[in-house]
Amino acid sequence: MKRRRIMAMVLALVMVASMFALAACNSGGSSSTADTGSSAAAVDEGSSAAETGTSAGAGMKIGVTYYSLQNEFTVRMDNAGQAYCDENDITLVSYDGNYDAATQLAQTETMIAEGCDAIIIDPVDAEACAASVEAAYNAGIPCIGANAMVNSDVLTSYIGSQDVLAGQDIMQYMIDYLGRDDFNIVIIEGPMGQSAQLQRLEGIENILKDHPDITILAKQTANWSRSEAMTIMESWLKSYDNIDAVMGENDEMALGAREAIKAAGKDIPCIGVDGITDAVTAIQNGDMIASDFQNAEAQMIKAIEVAVAAANGEEVEDFYWIPFEMITPENVEDYVNKY
Amino acid sequence: MDEKLKPRGVSIVGSMTPKQFFATYGSLIGLIALFFVISIIKPNFLDIGNLINILRIASINGLLAVGMTFVILTGGIDLSVGAIMGCAGMYSAYFAQQSMGQPAIVAVLIGVVVGLALGLFNGVIIAYLKVPPFVGTLGSLGIAKGIMFLLSNAKPIPSLTPEFKFIGGGSIFGGNLPVPIVIMIIVLAICFLLVYKMRYGRYVYAVGGNMNAAKISGINTKAIICSVYVISGVLAALAGVITSARVTSGVTSTGDGYEVNAIAMVVIGGTSLMGGRGRLWGTVVGILLLTVLTSGLDFLGVNTYYQLIIKGFVVIGAVMLDGLNQD
Repeated sequence: MKRRRIMAMVLALVMVASMFALAACNSGGSSSTADTGSSAAAVDEGSSAAETGTSAGAGMKIGVTYYSLQNEFTVRMDNAGQAYCDENDITLVSYDGNYDAATQLAQTETMIAEGCDAIIIDPVDAEACAASVEAAYNAGIPCIGANAMVNSDVLTSYIGSQDVLAGQDIMQYMIDYLGRDDFNIVIIEGPMGQSAQLQRLEGIENILKDHPDITILAKQTANWSRSEAMTIMESWLKSYDNIDAVMGENDEMALGAREAIKAAGKDIPCIGVDGITDAVTAIQNGDMIASDFQNAEAQMIKAIEVAVAAANGEEVEDFYWIPFEMITPENVEDYVNKY
Repeated sequence: MDEKLKPRGVSIVGSMTPKQFFATYGSLIGLIALFFVISIIKPNFLDIGNLINILRIASINGLLAVGMTFVILTGGIDLSVGAIMGCAGMYSAYFAQQSMGQPAIVAVLIGVVVGLALGLFNGVIIAYLKVPPFVGTLGSLGIAKGIMFLLSNAKPIPSLTPEFKFIGGGSIFGGNLPVPIVIMIIVLAICFLLVYKMRYGRYVYAVGGNMNAAKISGINTKAIICSVYVISGVLAALAGVITSARVTSGVTSTGDGYEVNAIAMVVIGGTSLMGGRGRLWGTVVGILLLTVLTSGLDFLGVNTYYQLIIKGFVVIGAVMLDGLNQD
């Protein structure tokens, strides 16, 4: 019993110590990056600073809340943002919203209390996260939307890619790939009601208007999930024997569908959106015909540039669009070493 | 030795061994230490605005833990609180839409009634139909989610009335005291009365401590068990209503996974999962500890992956300290 007590004390001490260490690490880390950041900025003053006009951001503190930091896309955004901020002597504080609008709102309030000069939000929900934007607005802090839209008229600016275009891109690419426009498709959708789902579907339907002989056999949500898409595709393969193409609203789901197709011993072309690592590999080995690459890095860097400009009181546009790029077997090598 | 038999309001420290002292007040000491550490590194953590932010979050998420305390005191568990929160939040948002033209109180009541109905369903299947709590509430987790999706068709419900939004985002006393904190204070006052001043509280402890003894001494154990799930359901619904009002729309993902946090808050507060032993004020400490920890780690800019690990250790550590009291 005595030994247990000592064990408990030791563990408790370790916990407290590790918290101190982490905190020290963190504050130490940010100050040291700030140092190297300023010297780096001094070295290549002309090139990057003049080009992007962000030397104005030196010493600023920007907070960003992502709908989650537990998936590849937002981690890519964050890595690019952190690297950019290190170079430009900006402190970027990142928050994981844990797929919860209330959490993102609490984090926005923390950023306001902490004295951030600007706030960037990658919202989990277009409606619910409007409360975060309003909180920032009321505190007089510019709030920039990135990657996914927030329905708020006090949003300072929005940086993203037009999902309607992604939908159009992949549908048009599939038509060109098959070389005809009288085939049957299935569509695997993102979470119902999310702006990316609504708009990518709208894009697909825009193209279908001009090609009335393309039939949608079925469409169903797989919530961006590979395993859910696989399950759905398995049942579709049993109920339809005339599927000519699979349209995935993201890569994960296109890859899941492709797994089911391979398991059934068939070969139906699949296409997706985002350009994640696995999709790039799949395009290389012929499992996917293409993927519309959403440029996470460019979105985040632009968002930081706009945040700095807005914090300095400069006029900024309401929207900045970062174009999608189609990854095809011809150009796939350019994307292999992207991350 | 049963601590609840001790006289209250007397200097407890004097009559305790250091071991008991640590087991009882470990979480409280942890909470104070946490405040101390964070505010040394970042003094503006103690800004009144930030503290009010923390209390507001604690008030909303803590409602689930307060209800869960009753359930766990009887030796049960309620895995459906997060789903009930989401479901009730969505139903109240539906009736709070500007196009519905209903006063805010109607929307609130509908949300609470949804929670009451789901809680009663839990209570009946567990107390009277003998379904184990873990399985029963796991089932109603799915049922509550499904009912919520049926109403919303998985779409968020925006444009709520300003009066409704006031419940989550508004403040009284010249804008200094957020409404969610007021609601939490009222709920806590009622629950402390129930637990410490009324027979009901003793019955809850008795049922959790020794079901047979409670039955023999004439307590309607089934009614008591049923009632704790109703309390849990109603408080979860209240949290859902406030959340909808706060984020100014009904969102399908509201409450997802919140049951885990609620259980963690209760056990950090020293309530035993075996039932019959625990304290409501401990849950309040647990609520504050987890909320301050989350908010503080965010404030310090600690990497989100480390946050998960630290929180895991805190839950384990708190229960371990409490376990020492049992030897």
